[in-house]
Amino acid sequence: MRIIIVGNGVAGTIAGKTIRELDSQAEILIYSEERHPYYPRPNLIDFLAGIIPLEKIFAFPEGWADRQRLQINLGRKIVGINPERPSISLENGEIVTGDYLVLTSGARPLSPPLAGLEKKGVFTLRTLDDVLELLEYLTSGPEVLILGGGLLGLETARALCQRGVNRVSVAEYFDRLLPRQLDENGAGQLQKELEKIGIKFYLGKEAVEVLGNGSVSGVRFKDGQVIPAGALILASGIKPRTELAEACGLLCSRGVLVDDYLRTSHSKVYAAGDVVEHRGKIYGLIPAAFDQARVLAYNLCGQIKRYEGTVPFNTLKVAGIYLTSIGLVNPENGDYEILVKHEPEKGIYKKLILKNDVPVGAIWLGVKKGVQEISRVIQAGKSLTGYKERVFDDNFDFSLILES
Amino acid sequence: MEKWECTACGYIYDPEVGDPDNNIPPGTPFESLPEDWVCPQCGVGKEFFQKIS
Repeated sequence: MRIIIVGNGVAGTIAGKTIRELDSQAEILIYSEERHPYYPRPNLIDFLAGIIPLEKIFAFPEGWADRQRLQINLGRKIVGINPERPSISLENGEIVTGDYLVLTSGARPLSPPLAGLEKKGVFTLRTLDDVLELLEYLTSGPEVLILGGGLLGLETARALCQRGVNRVSVAEYFDRLLPRQLDENGAGQLQKELEKIGIKFYLGKEAVEVLGNGSVSGVRFKDGQVIPAGALILASGIKPRTELAEACGLLCSRGVLVDDYLRTSHSKVYAAGDVVEHRGKIYGLIPAAFDQARVLAYNLCGQIKRYEGTVPFNTLKVAGIYLTSIGLVNPENGDYEILVKHEPEKGIYKKLILKNDVPVGAIWLGVKKGVQEISRVIQAGKSLTGYKERVFDDNFDFSLILES
Repeated sequence: MEKWECTACGYIYDPEVGDPDNNIPPGTPFESLPEDWVCPQCGVGKEFFQKIS
């Protein structure tokens, strides 16, 4: 069996690694337009912050791919795929054929509809090269404005503060931070804590134009306000890179559509990670990409497994602030019961969303104790009946629930 | 004791082995690892680990 994997992010890498674990004979070829070997993206933030050196961001030691007998081809842009042959075409005209294709081409940053994005000093942060370019630009000491108050935007702001960048601001379209992972209370609390480390926030702001003559000098917002900035970072979400799939007729919606076996609409093409849409969901999270890649590898190797989704799990660690958001945190109708413990003076906010006493979502802010445990309760679908009064206690024994 | 797997690189934390290179003695359950412990293979934090069932 000869398998061609497009992309060497977490999904492509874990797929290749797992296929090798299951099949010692398979020929596994990975192609990626990136010139760097696999690195977990969270490490980019720590590298940007100056906490870890460049060589520490890569997951595997030199020679690992050879020992695994993974043929990894870096710096090779894939310009087309052909499910019928099945094959991929590279930029230089070369065509590589195999028995199956695995599409793990990931996502790209969303470009907000904003004039002047071509100016010098506008950055996105997705790849190691993006980070290297930004770091070089930062040596001139610009004021930094980040568009987007989601996870990436806040992590980036935190990292820049840690690196010693003097003025860091975040502008968000919604009227609160982390609209997907937090509720109003939690977002307010988080904002206060982040302001303490020097980040400035502009909420409910729609950017309309990047100002500057050749290079960025600021951003103009819909309400007329101008925020000066010498560097602009776009962190308004991601978009699956569906173009290769679309061009060859694979079914796509927002992402490349896959079934519970991670098959696309063509039986010779599988897909996993940020590029896919599964049961209407695009996760954009490492644990989901990992789960999908594993299931994909098993199915490719003839051991049938189903992927039924991943409970979203997000954490943010900012100078002493711990935030975890799991599963459904903003239910849209009244069938849910909400438990809350809020101690503003201690900076602690905990919330649980229950359906028939079973927790389906949680926010844990300002405290890390109990996070692993509540996450396991949610994933296992355990009931809180009889423990609702005590579950927020600092020394609550979760094994009472987990082992029931 | 339960093993945990890194979702970024696939490293498996085995409590019976611990992580001696980083001063984690054998017999340390995953839950007891310090909060700033990171995957010895790829460097991501504890939150990226999941229990192997």
